[in-house]
Amino acid sequence: MLKEALVFLHGGVPGVTPYCSGPHIWGRSLELFAAERKVVALELRGPTVDAQMQEARAALGEDPVHLVGHDLGGLIALAVAAEAPQRVRSVSAVASVAAAPTGDGVVNLTLAHPPPPLWSRRSQAWALERVSYSHQHIDDALLDACERAARKNPPVRSEELPPSLMAAKARFYELCRERGYPVPAQIIWGTHDPLGSFDQGLWLFRLVAQKQRIAQFHAINRTGALPFREEPEAFHQIVSAFVEAG
Amino acid sequence: MPMPEGRWIDVEGLRTRYYEAGSGEPIVMVYGGNFGTSDSASSAYTWNLNMRPLSERFRVIVPDKVGQGYTDNPQNDDYTMRAVVRHLAAFLRAMELPPVHLVGHSRGGYACARLTLEQHDLVRSVTLVNSGTLSPGVGTNEVVLSRPPYPKYTPECVRWVYQSYSFDPRVVTDEWVKAVLEILALPKYQESVRKVEQEKLGVKLFLPELAREKRETLQWLNDGRLQRPSQVVWGFDDRTATLERGIELFRMIAQHERRAQFHVINQSGHFPFREHPARFNALLARFVAQC
Repeated sequence: MLKEALVFLHGGVPGVTPYCSGPHIWGRSLELFAAERKVVALELRGPTVDAQMQEARAALGEDPVHLVGHDLGGLIALAVAAEAPQRVRSVSAVASVAAAPTGDGVVNLTLAHPPPPLWSRRSQAWALERVSYSHQHIDDALLDACERAARKNPPVRSEELPPSLMAAKARFYELCRERGYPVPAQIIWGTHDPLGSFDQGLWLFRLVAQKQRIAQFHAINRTGALPFREEPEAFHQIVSAFVEAG
Repeated sequence: MPMPEGRWIDVEGLRTRYYEAGSGEPIVMVYGGNFGTSDSASSAYTWNLNMRPLSERFRVIVPDKVGQGYTDNPQNDDYTMRAVVRHLAAFLRAMELPPVHLVGHSRGGYACARLTLEQHDLVRSVTLVNSGTLSPGVGTNEVVLSRPPYPKYTPECVRWVYQSYSFDPRVVTDEWVKAVLEILALPKYQESVRKVEQEKLGVKLFLPELAREKRETLQWLNDGRLQRPSQVVWGFDDRTATLERGIELFRMIAQHERRAQFHVINQSGHFPFREHPARFNALLARFVAQC
């Protein structure tokens, strides 16, 4: 039997996140996965959560897949899988601050003052470094791809995004609380994620774990908000183990 | 899942029982508990759901610790953790193993960490599973398991102890209980119970010595002396070694070791490798393969 494909959903909020994410954000980790199974990296451009969910839904075929989502992509993956549990074998949400509860938290200042012009190469490099544990993974290949992404889809901020995000989170939390999250899911977190605390990651796990038997939490040391770039081998190891354990 | 046929090796004069299967990178699995307990008794069987599956890709070795399982009791009534660690290290040397991937559960996690801290050359990576013995903070073992409501040495008591450890009581199978009762029935094991429980060597010797040594062990961990890729695996619902203690242990190790990972498995008590064997085996296999 052919192994189920892995479908990757990048994060970043269009017009808000000061670096342009896209399929390129997964970097070398995709090659590690591609050596073992079919890999698809989606490009999500919708201006709201619902629009991105629609894009992700459309990319799912009849054959069940495993979803891996970063940040907002993690929430999209969790939400889409919950709608169609028969089509999704598992969800891995990575550094998904977008999905994690914030309570009445204080504002996060990590990306408060990006250098202008926004989405220039220099400004994006600044943002990527700010969200990382170390700048070592920020190479020309990444910056070239981020620049291309900014040119191809000039970031536009949608006023509808924050309400659509809150609504999607509320639906997800209700589901976890009432019926229970219907798909095996794991939360992967960087120990040094400046955008979301270890506790937030653990809380996201607790929500899923309430009624879903197959739920795991993982922390990867010395990584920030892009653990799959800073420790691709560890990330590959953790996702692969989850996927192959069935 | 049956264990392979047990083998014997002489380790510094102690007749030592071990189990071995497969070939490749050596993984040595060290179970928890200690000698001389009459309400339960860990032995190599604890790893029976992991040994065979992992042996498809690795050389898996499970020794019986000194005084536990079928291995001889310690010489000169040395019922101490130090004797356990010394015996374990001597076992690895007697087996002439290249540096091994150590997997230690509970008290076995402490033994594995201590062994690594003292004899780095024997170890390639460390996996620590629900080890309250190794973690800083308050253990709730004695709270959850104090004074079992059944007579010692009985199947009811054994079942009660392991069910109290577990998330799902159904994981405590008749086969598991039977394996424990076999150990409890060994004359040499009952001798260790006489020493540890009746002659109070547990309270007078084992625990105070462990407490003294643990202070040093935690200091060494904080000093960054472990120096091997390490992962901490934790059953989320363990009432005896709670999640907070696992987090604290992981943080101590992670401040010095880049290759440090923390894994939490849901709906699992103290024995994640028995409650979710396929998930644990996959995590371990993938970790070992990249160390």
